[in-house]
Amino acid sequence: MKLKKFGASVLAMTMAASMMVGCGETAADTTEAPATETPATETPATEAPAAETPATEEAPAAEAKNIEATEITFWHAMNGNLESVLTEITDEFNASNEYGIKVTLVNQGAYGDLQTKLQASAAADALPDLAQAYNNWLTPYIDKAVKLDDFVATDFDNWEDIIPAYRDECSEFGFIHAVPYNKSTYVLFYNKTMFEELGIEVPQTWADVEAAAKTVMDAKNIAFIGYDDLAGVVEASLHQDGADYVDATGALFNDEKGLETCTYLSNLYNNGYARLVGEDGYFSNVISNQNIASYVGSSAGVSYIKAEGWDLGVAPLPGNVKKAANMAGTNIVMFAQDSNKQLAAWEYLKYILSTEAMTKWAVNTGYLPVRQSSYETAEYKAYMDENVCAAACYEQAKDFFFSPTFDASNDIRSTVPSTVEQLVYDKADAQTWLDTIVKAINDQY
Amino acid sequence: MTTKRKIVNVIAAILKYGLLILGSVFTVLPFIWMISSSLKTPSELIAVPPALFPEVPQWQNYKDAWAAAPFARYFVNTLIVTTCTTCGVLVTTVLSAFAFSRLNFPGKKTVFSLFLATLMIPGEMLIITNYETIINLKWIDSYKAMIVPWISSAFYIYLLTRFFMQVPESLYLAAKVDKCSDFKYMIKIMVPMNKQAIFSIAILNIISSWNAFLWPLLVTNSQEMRVLSNGLVRFQTEAGSSTELIMAASCMLVMPIIIIYLFLRKYIIEGVTRSGLKG
Amino acid sequence: MDKKSFKGYLYLLPSIIIMLAFTVYPLIRAIIMSFLGDYSIINHGYSSIGFENYKNLFADPDFAKSLKNTSIYVICVVPASIFLSLVIAVLINSCKRFKALFQTIYFLPYVTSVIAIGIVWRWMFNSNYGLINYFLGLFGIDPVQWLNLPQYAMPALIIFAIWKSMAFNILIFLAGLQTIPEDIYRAARIDSTPRLRVFTRITVPQLAPMIVYSSVIGMIGAFKVYNEVFSLFQGKAGPANSAITIVYYIYDKFYNSYKYGVAAAGSVVLFLIILALTQIQLRVTGEKKKK
Repeated sequence: MKLKKFGASVLAMTMAASMMVGCGETAADTTEAPATETPATETPATEAPAAETPATEEAPAAEAKNIEATEITFWHAMNGNLESVLTEITDEFNASNEYGIKVTLVNQGAYGDLQTKLQASAAADALPDLAQAYNNWLTPYIDKAVKLDDFVATDFDNWEDIIPAYRDECSEFGFIHAVPYNKSTYVLFYNKTMFEELGIEVPQTWADVEAAAKTVMDAKNIAFIGYDDLAGVVEASLHQDGADYVDATGALFNDEKGLETCTYLSNLYNNGYARLVGEDGYFSNVISNQNIASYVGSSAGVSYIKAEGWDLGVAPLPGNVKKAANMAGTNIVMFAQDSNKQLAAWEYLKYILSTEAMTKWAVNTGYLPVRQSSYETAEYKAYMDENVCAAACYEQAKDFFFSPTFDASNDIRSTVPSTVEQLVYDKADAQTWLDTIVKAINDQY
Repeated sequence: MTTKRKIVNVIAAILKYGLLILGSVFTVLPFIWMISSSLKTPSELIAVPPALFPEVPQWQNYKDAWAAAPFARYFVNTLIVTTCTTCGVLVTTVLSAFAFSRLNFPGKKTVFSLFLATLMIPGEMLIITNYETIINLKWIDSYKAMIVPWISSAFYIYLLTRFFMQVPESLYLAAKVDKCSDFKYMIKIMVPMNKQAIFSIAILNIISSWNAFLWPLLVTNSQEMRVLSNGLVRFQTEAGSSTELIMAASCMLVMPIIIIYLFLRKYIIEGVTRSGLKG
Repeated sequence: MDKKSFKGYLYLLPSIIIMLAFTVYPLIRAIIMSFLGDYSIINHGYSSIGFENYKNLFADPDFAKSLKNTSIYVICVVPASIFLSLVIAVLINSCKRFKALFQTIYFLPYVTSVIAIGIVWRWMFNSNYGLINYFLGLFGIDPVQWLNLPQYAMPALIIFAIWKSMAFNILIFLAGLQTIPEDIYRAARIDSTPRLRVFTRITVPQLAPMIVYSSVIGMIGAFKVYNEVFSLFQGKAGPANSAITIVYYIYDKFYNSYKYGVAAAGSVVLFLIILALTQIQLRVTGEKKKK
């Protein structure tokens, strides 16, 4: 019986597929199945379970804590040393928590792999209890994330202690969908030795950048600055100029301010003051070989700069009418369905976000503390004294902004860099920059 | 006449070997570069101009790469998955190719075109649905999940069908006269006659199975089930990657395949070429 | 005939089951998806049924560019790779010494991991100290900015792809050469037929099935080029997207932009293009064989 049924559906599928192939030569060889049979192929067993997924329930407020021993899976993309530190902190939690909660870390490769796996798991309704994620990964399945507002309101020591920009980012969908964890920011890495040799001060403003770039160009005939993230630099520069970038309706800078920003950027490239990374891949390679004086990149990449025969300096991003710096790094999202698991997962999140564990995480990985109190511990202060990168990041923590997530934001992120590259190759003028970028962005809606 | 012919022969031989050696240089160089990079320090890797060989070979890279993940366990898993997949592929491929090349059945052409058509859709589109299927079968985190979807490939079936068709039809008819069953004919005559093709299919499949990355990552969760290629990403982070460790791990990944290749080659091909294929 | 028909499918059964489950079924879903506007793979919701995705697809200049790039790629890579592989395979096959060594060496590119190969070729193409520019320099050609300028991205990709695809073709051709009966060559030798003539009159016709196979498979593979782009340009599609290919476009739409319907429509278009071309290819080569 079963076999028969299977045979029938196999036949139907074969027929359907052979119709797709649709080559006249083969049609004569087979008797076509009646067209009415084809829809049968649309009802595979796999689609059924997805339908019964309940909308994620509101997190219950923590009454008297009554958490049963349980296992929590946490998917992450931390590799190398980052993974060892995360494992160590997690082991501490597993050993010390009073409820018998066991958090299992699952390494899912690099960010791109984790993104793909989360997406596939959302489709198959097999999401883990906890996972690292960028906001823009979540758009298709944000309603599967647990709303953390009640947990934060009733069972968190001091949410106000979390850096404001992180709080905003974690609540941009109208509710708290995540807690910040491995955060970094874009900073200006520079060749201190070269700066001293040429008598250049660390640039504070756009005007400083242009002046310093001219000095470097005249003396060394190399570019002064480069940007690892071309979409990021457009966004940050607009903010630095007091302008807005994009929102759910389209580009917001088709005006004087936007033109001013484009003038700054196009001049940098057209004069050879700035360059594209090209075949070198990352600017960390370029600066290591002293082929550029400085670059803007993620603070998490500091270990890839090999400063041999020169000293590395790190500074906050230069501003114009104000300062603004991109932030990077993922947050932790909760997908656990069962309320006991939610409570258990929250215990873990509270633990790893505690001032002490956060400080340990930050000091050992180079990621930024997500809370003010960690910055103020003696341990982290000592770390900043030794670590120029951490100090520079802290200095601009008040200037963080995040890229908003909406339907078109992923398309914008992928289209802006190639658009900017083309403008650089074309040596386009400021007005062309503005028109082209605005059009490229608005085409994505 | 004969001396002239001899001279031509010598010149031809020099040209031939010259060309082959030049080609070999281009072919091998990337490979040597990979090995030498695996022994460099990070600053040697990005040095301008690059040195072909490291000043001091950094054998430590191999130790570090080996320590970064449970590679021994990964190795066992990779071996299991590759062996099972390849055996499965060989069985399904030989059966299907035999059916397409020797048997008559209605709809043969259609089914064959259909098989071929399955190659034309980019695999990237199929992954998510297949992942859902694996979840629904409750195969997640098992060897089955890594093996079963890959034990049949139109790519190889098409190839072997081509080879089987080369075998003269008269042999088949003669076998029929001798009352040799189709199955016996396939095993006793078709398979041995196409050893080299079957070897090629085996080695191609071993390599693709050995290097498969995204699918094993998707369908496994525990460290105990991961495979070697999953270890490669251990050296990549959001802001850069440790190229020297990737290279060291890549070398470790590749060596077993080369050994398998050389072993299979010796074992299978040499026997064939000696015995000849005159039928 | 009846008995035979049952038997043929029995032999095919294992393959058919696997293919139905893991290729045909997802393929059908992808085709359905391509006709649903704003389809979500999460809750299977959609806003419309029709050709909206196809309209969006053909309105997107990036897709047009990817079609153009992929076509150029196929036209350059497939014939060049087959021709070079054929020459090398025949040369290797005629070697009395070092045959095994050459066979192994020319197979090496196929074994090496894609990540490692990409890194190595980036070095080969480097404008300042890459090997390729060094060789060009010997002929007085100025350094080419292979990976830095949009106009050279496709040529660089094509060179890389030819190199990479040759190992497979050589393997197939060498296997094919084994099946050519020695007698034919011996006869040619007795008649002292010129080498080129032996190559064009004996080797190529005898290898025809393998050449057809390689060109069909090579073309299908070339239309689906993705890994080569990804590894050569470090995850991007070349400077200013100059080397974007159809599958790169599809991948980006599916996995980064979550435009599932558009990605599915792109796959269907790709599928139809390949299908049409392979039919033509098979028919042309099939006719030749009959003559």
